[in-house]
Amino acid sequence: MQFDSPIPGANLVADTRNYAWHRPPDIVEYDKAVDYLISRIDDPHQTQMVLAMLDIEAQISTIVSTILLQTVAKGKMAIDLALLAAGPLARYIEIIAKDVGKPYSMGVRDKSAIIITPTLLKQALGIVEQEEDMIEDMEQEEAPLEATTGGLMGMPDEMVAPEDEQMEMLGGMDDTESDPMVEEEPEDEL
Amino acid sequence: MQFQDAVRMSIEKFIEGKMPEKLTELSPERELYYTPDYFDQLEEELLGEPVEKAEGEKDAV
Repeated sequence: MQFDSPIPGANLVADTRNYAWHRPPDIVEYDKAVDYLISRIDDPHQTQMVLAMLDIEAQISTIVSTILLQTVAKGKMAIDLALLAAGPLARYIEIIAKDVGKPYSMGVRDKSAIIITPTLLKQALGIVEQEEDMIEDMEQEEAPLEATTGGLMGMPDEMVAPEDEQMEMLGGMDDTESDPMVEEEPEDEL
Repeated sequence: MQFQDAVRMSIEKFIEGKMPEKLTELSPERELYYTPDYFDQLEEELLGEPVEKAEGEKDAV
């Protein structure tokens, strides 16, 4: 039997210097990372590349992620620092685009834009009010059904029994006044 | 989440004027230089137009 996978611990003896991102990154500070990225963009060759990408209507977020992936692949910075530097880089490219008068798209969600949801659409068309009215009507129709009780084990409609029934349950005592404390003497003396 | 999505989220937050609070703790001896305010000022200087702040945007940390 032959195994394709590496043996346990193979990663500890392998040469991890083959890839740049396996080594400690060159830049570990936020400001230095942004400084490095801005200096890269300011390079004439790189600026031409960015403007060319804007010409083909590439979104700024796409340009930023391309540059960041290159930077991470070179081992310049770790991927988490690259993500932190994404915002400043995008903002810088936006300023360049505005400066040269290029149309651009950031490629991020516009929070000011109204997101059309099915509920919002129903409200706009007035369908929600109709539905609410229908639900109210249905509830009103269903209400009497809920009140009815029945069955052998069902709760009675009135929890308090009538007075006659109560008396009957207590042994059918009459209204005759009798003092329970006074015991009548039996007629037959035993 | 893909890298592209994370980049988009990061850009979105930065445009809103938000930065991770823990970022300032990395270098407590000096303030961060490349803040959202810095880029607003840069834009104003280069293009000569004031930048409209996003709703709920707070000053950079």
